[in-house]
Amino acid sequence: MTSSTTATLRPAAGQAANVQLKYRSQAVAKPYFMAAIGLFVGQIIFGLVMGLQYVIGDFLFPEIPFNVARMVHTNLLIVWLLFGFMGAGYYLIPEESERELHSPKLAMIAFWVFLVAGALTIVGYLAVPYATLARITGNDFLPTMGREFLEQPTITKAGIVVVALTFLYNLSMTVLKGRKTTISMVMMLGLWGLAIFFLFSFYNPHNLVLDKYFWWWVVHLWVEGVWELIMGAMLAFVLVKVTGVDREVVEKWLYVIIAMTLITGIIGTGHHYFWIGTPGYWQVFGSAFSALEPIPFFMMTMFAFNMVNKRRREHPNKAAVLWALGTGVMSFLGAGVWGFLHTLAPVNYLTHGTQITASHGHMAFYGAYAMVVITMISYAMPLLRGREANSNRSQVVEMWSFWLMTIAMVFITLFLTAAGILQVWMQRMGDHPLSFMATQDQLSFFYWLREAAGVVFFAGLLLYIVSFFVRGDARD
Amino acid sequence: MQTKDLAAGTVRTVPGDLAMWFFILAELAVFGLFFAIYGVVRARQPALFAAGQAGLSRLSALGNTLLLIAGSGTMAAAVQDFAAGRSRRGTRWLLATLLCGGGFLLLKGAEFGGHLAAGITLSSNDFWMFYLALAGFHYLHVVLGMVIIAAVYRAARQGRYDAANHAGVETAAAYWHMVDLVWLVLFALVYVAR
Amino acid sequence: MSTRFTKSTARNIFYGGAVFFFLLFVALTFDTVQALPKRDNRANLTEQVVRGKKLWETNNCIGCHTLLGEGAYFAPELGNVYQRRGPDFIKAWIKAQPTGVPGRRQMPNFHLTDSQLDDLVAFLKYSSEINTNHWPPNIEG
Repeated sequence: MTSSTTATLRPAAGQAANVQLKYRSQAVAKPYFMAAIGLFVGQIIFGLVMGLQYVIGDFLFPEIPFNVARMVHTNLLIVWLLFGFMGAGYYLIPEESERELHSPKLAMIAFWVFLVAGALTIVGYLAVPYATLARITGNDFLPTMGREFLEQPTITKAGIVVVALTFLYNLSMTVLKGRKTTISMVMMLGLWGLAIFFLFSFYNPHNLVLDKYFWWWVVHLWVEGVWELIMGAMLAFVLVKVTGVDREVVEKWLYVIIAMTLITGIIGTGHHYFWIGTPGYWQVFGSAFSALEPIPFFMMTMFAFNMVNKRRREHPNKAAVLWALGTGVMSFLGAGVWGFLHTLAPVNYLTHGTQITASHGHMAFYGAYAMVVITMISYAMPLLRGREANSNRSQVVEMWSFWLMTIAMVFITLFLTAAGILQVWMQRMGDHPLSFMATQDQLSFFYWLREAAGVVFFAGLLLYIVSFFVRGDARD
Repeated sequence: MQTKDLAAGTVRTVPGDLAMWFFILAELAVFGLFFAIYGVVRARQPALFAAGQAGLSRLSALGNTLLLIAGSGTMAAAVQDFAAGRSRRGTRWLLATLLCGGGFLLLKGAEFGGHLAAGITLSSNDFWMFYLALAGFHYLHVVLGMVIIAAVYRAARQGRYDAANHAGVETAAAYWHMVDLVWLVLFALVYVAR
Repeated sequence: MSTRFTKSTARNIFYGGAVFFFLLFVALTFDTVQALPKRDNRANLTEQVVRGKKLWETNNCIGCHTLLGEGAYFAPELGNVYQRRGPDFIKAWIKAQPTGVPGRRQMPNFHLTDSQLDDLVAFLKYSSEINTNHWPPNIEG
C-alpha cells in the first residue's frame, strides 16, 4: 500500500490518541454515525411491519396500527438522516476549516439531547394513542401535529430547532475562525437552509390550502433543495479525499451542480401545487421546471464517475468509493428518473397519491440521502476507529451489503411501480373504476413481492452492521 | 484569443465561461418547455388565444424587439473592442447595452402596467396566464442580464479587462444574447403568429 | 486555449441563480396567496371546520389516508369522500371501526363523540369543495 499514506498523517495538536484524525474533535462524529445506523435499523423494521400490513391487514392490530408504524418509519428516516448530516458536519467542517471544532462538549450534549428527545418521541408514538400524545405534549397551545412527516409533538419540534441551532452555532464558529472552502460553505448553506425551512413546520393555518402550500416549504425545499446542497458537499468531500483529484476541479463542479439543483428545484416545488387548490398556472411552472430536475442528478452521477476515473491515488477504502458511485447512480434513478416519470401535470393527474409516488419516494430517499450518509460513514468510520480503511474481509462484507440493499431497493421500486400502474389503471381509468379497497386487493401479489424485497434489504442492512465487526488483517 | 484559436484551426471553445453555458442551456430548456406547452394549449383553444393576442400591442413589441437587437449589437461591439484592446470604447458600448435594456424595461413595463390596470392577472384565463408567465419570466431575465452587465461595466471602469483577459465580458454577452434569442421566439410566437 | 471554466463564475451563477429563482418563487407565492380566496373555499371555513381539522390532525388520519392526494396510500382518498359516501355513512363508518374482519386492513376506533363526528364531517365537506383543478379523476379518488 504505497499511496495510502498521504491523506491522514498530520497529527492533531497535543497528544493525539488517533493518528488517523487530523483534528481530535472530529471524533464527536462517531456517536452520531452509530446512532444513525441504529435508527436506520428501526426504520426498516417498521417498514417491514407496514409491508406486511399491506397484505395482512390486521397484522399487529390494534397494538401497532398502520398510521403509527408509518409515522415511526418516516420519522426514524428523517431523524437518522439528520444524525448522519450532523455527524458529517462535525467530521468534515473541522477538517475543511483546519482547526478543532469550536466546542466538542456542546456537540456531545446536543447528541444526547437529540437522541433522548427522538427516543421519547418514538416511545410516545408507540405507547399512547396519538390524540393522547397531542394532549399531554400541549399541542393545543401551538397545534402543529398530525401533518405528514411533521407528526412530532410541538415540543419535539422546538427541541429539534434548539439542537439544530447549537449544531449550527458550533459549526459556524468553527468555519468563521478557520479556512473557508467551497465544500464547507455549501455544507453550511445547506444546513442553515435546513434549519430555516423547518421553521415553516410551526405554521399551521386553519385554511387547508395554505397549510398544504407552506407544508411543502419544509418538505420540498428540504429534499429537492437544501438537502441536495448537503448531499453535494458530502459527496464532494469524500471524492476529494478518496480520489486525490484537485480540489479546485471538484469544487467548481460542485457549484455548477448545486446551481442547477436550485435553478430547477425551487420553482420545481410547483409540481406539488397541481391539485391542492392552488392556481392552474402551477401546472405549467411545476411541469417545466421539475422536468429539468433530473439534470443536476445526472451531472452528479457523471461528476462522481469522472472524478473516480481521474483519480490520482488508490485509496484503500474501496467500499467508500463504491458507495459514492452508488449514490450518484441511485439518486439519478430514484430522484431523477422516477421523479420525472410522474412530474408532468397530465401524468400526475392520474398518478397523484398512488403507489407510483411511494415507489419514487423509496428509491429517491435511499439513493440520494441514505446512500450519501452511508458513503460518509463508510469513509469516516474506519478513520474514526483509528485505521485508514477496514480490512479486505470487512470491505468485502460491506460491498455485499451495498449490493444487497441497492438491488433490493431497485426491486422494491419496480414492484411498487407495477402496483402503482395497475392501481391507476383499475381505479382511475376506464368507465367502471374499482373502489380503492377493491383495487388494493388486486395488487396484493406485488405487495408480497415488495415485502420479500424488503426482507432482502433488511438482510443487507444487517450485513452492513456485521461488516463493522469483521476483523481480518489490517490491510490485504 | 478565441478568434486566434479558431483561425489557427486548433481547439474550438465556447466564448466566455463554461459555467455560464450550463446556466444558458438550462434556461433555454425551461423556455423551450414553456413554448412547447404554450403551443399545445393554444392549439386546443385557438379562439381564446386569437382574442387574447388581438389585445396585445404589436407596435410596442416591435419597438422592444428593435431595442433588444440593438442591445445585442452593442454588446457584440463591446466584446470586439475589449478583444482589440480598446477598453474605453468597449466600456461605452456596455453602457449603450444597458440603455437598450433599460428602454426595453420601460416600454415593456408600460405594457404590463396597462394589463394590470385592466385587471388582468395570471388567473384571468389560459392565454393571459401564458402571456404573463412567459413575458414576465423573460422580463426578469432582462433584469438579471442587466445586473450581470452592470457588474461587468463596473469592473470595466475599474480597468479589470484587457485584450488578454476579458472573459467576463464574453460571459455576460453570452447570457445577454440568450435573453435576446428567447425574446425573438416569444415575439414570433405570442405577438406575430396568429 | 482550453475551455475556460472558473470556480468564481460557477459560484456567481450558483448564488445569482439561487437568489433569482427564489425571488421568482416568492413572487409566484404572493400571486398565489392573492388568488386563493376564489379557490380555497374559505367562505365555508367555519369554527366547526376548524375543530374538524384539528380532530383530523390529532388522530393522525393522514397516516393511512390521503387528503387531496397527499398522505399515506394505505386507505382511501378522503378529499372527495363527502360526495362519495355522504355524511351519514361517514359517521356510521367511523363509529363501527374496527371491523375486526380477519386479514382485512383495520381502522382504529377513535372514540369520537357525536359532535366531534359532525366537526370532522364538516371539515371533510369543506375540503371537498376546494377547487382542485378537477382532481381526482373520478369519484373513487
